[in-house]
Amino acid sequence: MPVVGAFCVTVHKDICINAQMPGKCATCVEVCPYEVYAIDGNGQVAVQNYNACVGCRICAEFCPENAIRINPAESEYLSRYPWTLGQVEEIHHKALTGGYLLRGFGTMGPMPHFDQIVVVPSQLAAEPPKDKYREECEMEVVIGEDTCEKPIRLQYPIIFPAMSFGALSREAKLALAIAAAKTGIAENTGEGGLVAEARHYCHGYIDKEETQKKWEPGGYLVVQWSTGRWGVSVDFVRAGDAVEVKIGQGAKPGMGGHLLGAKVTEEIAAVRGVPVGSDALSPCRYYDVLSFEDLKKQVAFLRDVTNYEKPIWIKLGPSRPYDDVRLAAEAGVDAISLDGIAGGTGASPDLVTQGVGIPTIACIPPAVRALKDLGLHRKVKLFALGGIRNGLDAVKALAMGADGVGFGTAAEIAMGCRACMACHKGNCPYGITSQKPELRARLDPEEAGQRLANFVKATVEEIKILTMLSGHSDIKDLSEEDLRAVDPETAAITGLKLIGYERRMPWWENGHDN
Amino acid sequence: MSRVLDAKGKDLRVVSTQLKEMIAADGKEATVKNASHLHGLCAGLKGGEITIEGDSGDYLGVLNDGALIRVAGNAGRYAADNMTHGTVLVDGDTDYGAAQYCYGGIVVVKGSAGDFTATMNKGATVIIGQDVGDEVGTYMLAGDLVIVGNAGRNLGNYLIRGNIYVGGQWASLGHNVKEETLTKADVDKLQGYLAKYAIKADPRAFRKLAPLSAKPFYK
Repeated sequence: MPVVGAFCVTVHKDICINAQMPGKCATCVEVCPYEVYAIDGNGQVAVQNYNACVGCRICAEFCPENAIRINPAESEYLSRYPWTLGQVEEIHHKALTGGYLLRGFGTMGPMPHFDQIVVVPSQLAAEPPKDKYREECEMEVVIGEDTCEKPIRLQYPIIFPAMSFGALSREAKLALAIAAAKTGIAENTGEGGLVAEARHYCHGYIDKEETQKKWEPGGYLVVQWSTGRWGVSVDFVRAGDAVEVKIGQGAKPGMGGHLLGAKVTEEIAAVRGVPVGSDALSPCRYYDVLSFEDLKKQVAFLRDVTNYEKPIWIKLGPSRPYDDVRLAAEAGVDAISLDGIAGGTGASPDLVTQGVGIPTIACIPPAVRALKDLGLHRKVKLFALGGIRNGLDAVKALAMGADGVGFGTAAEIAMGCRACMACHKGNCPYGITSQKPELRARLDPEEAGQRLANFVKATVEEIKILTMLSGHSDIKDLSEEDLRAVDPETAAITGLKLIGYERRMPWWENGHDN
Repeated sequence: MSRVLDAKGKDLRVVSTQLKEMIAADGKEATVKNASHLHGLCAGLKGGEITIEGDSGDYLGVLNDGALIRVAGNAGRYAADNMTHGTVLVDGDTDYGAAQYCYGGIVVVKGSAGDFTATMNKGATVIIGQDVGDEVGTYMLAGDLVIVGNAGRNLGNYLIRGNIYVGGQWASLGHNVKEETLTKADVDKLQGYLAKYAIKADPRAFRKLAPLSAKPFYK
């Protein structure tokens, strides 16, 4: 039953034929079965009854100048759910094309997230707060300290997680490298091979020989070993300061990377070893891993190839965090990135991004528990990814037990992205996710790198504020006691104490299955 | 003269370190025996000539970038995985997934090869002297795959680029693959491969498979 008066009818007079030449067109009047439009004696069309519009949009479809817009007058989730206009259009798209929707970016819409958690400040009942302005806060995160000859020492508990060259432009990858160097954190190649300058840029140098340092203090490059193995050679593996073995990602767990043909230029094709214009669709799993034992063998030979010097990392999508993290740790890695459902992507089937995987806040507690059960918490470093936007989200993740967080989507936004979700089309007007030279030229790597570095530094200050007002001078001292869930659902999901109740939900108190 | 490294009871780190030292010091030649328990042996080598006496473990020669690796017996799973340059010669058979993800180099298996051999081949020449299993040549993006004997099901599934030559029969073909006429250039190329690796077969009797479309997934 249509809801009367639920739609705004807008006719753009600048392009409406009737508005320019009365009598020449009255298509909307003719096709509307609800008499929303009327025509007067002079042939002029006007909207006579807004309340009659039921949102069928037949007028918009038939308008020869595309001059009509029909928008919901109030939240569609109140008036039309589950048959929102977006849902209707998706079905039309499938009916017209036989294809499903693809898009970039991440999960949109309501989902349990960090906003349902608050940070508890220190007053009388806990250690007094520390003075953010006059005292220090320890933030270093060391990866592979006891296992590698060249551990990674992140200045801050922050990484730029995997985003491939191909999904991102060369300029965006270099901006991330510069920002990593300026802030002492790590950038990750993703699975698209290596932009030649990225390695020494990450380290802060402008020359390949690493003799001329430009950006202090210098950061780290993580290279990704993934299911498509695009651009991967022994030189690529050794170029990294760490190697990340990708099992999955938050935006499309259970599927491999998607780089659609529109973005496979000659340069990308050369790096990836695929034909120009073809879709580079990574396998959903490793063809060369048939068992968990095989995964352990891969970790072992990656250590061998890197001379036992560099950390080995695993990236997981949001599936069964306790068991997955436990297995990852048992595979012998030094760090684990766990990406929640809100993790971003350059391209993915829409329904997978929207509906597959579990929220980031629900991933962290089981992951921490798995590491604690193995006696590896704080030894194997855990990085929480997926929808982390600021220092507040970061501190919440750290207090829940993560050692660090990743800013992927937020990093793109810091470079200038406006979250249009069309990354897969290759037309990013800010040059971040496009491979078109004229659009890439809009992104200056040094300028974008500075924006990113500013973002990281501001976020670090936020982390410092929140850590210290909670009574700590070291991020490692943050704990679940520094957080409260604001609703029972979040308390149930996370095991955090519920505000007012001041205890954990009963089944968390009494122990539970993993 | 090749020095012999006995890997019995040793782990990958020890054997790998010793092997690299031997290659660097002794004219680039080395022989390893009792190595079937080691997985990922000869990983990422950029040169040298290594002979594995007997069988090898899994991931032999992974990321090989220039070494000549010969296995006198059989190789385990994923032999020559992700190779970029060099040669891997297996006198016996290879298990599942030999020559996957290779960007270049040559892999020759005198015996048979398992399922998913040469999957995502991106430029290597892969020659199998006898039969192969199912799903061989899946999502191949470049290079040559020569199968002297028979192939199993779904051969060349989602072939994007490159050539597959089959001397025997196949159980079935995968998606996006078609049979093409063998040209003189193909015959000459095959003749060269077969002669170089002493494989007895008539190159004119091979059939050639090529991709239907370079963009089969999203139109």
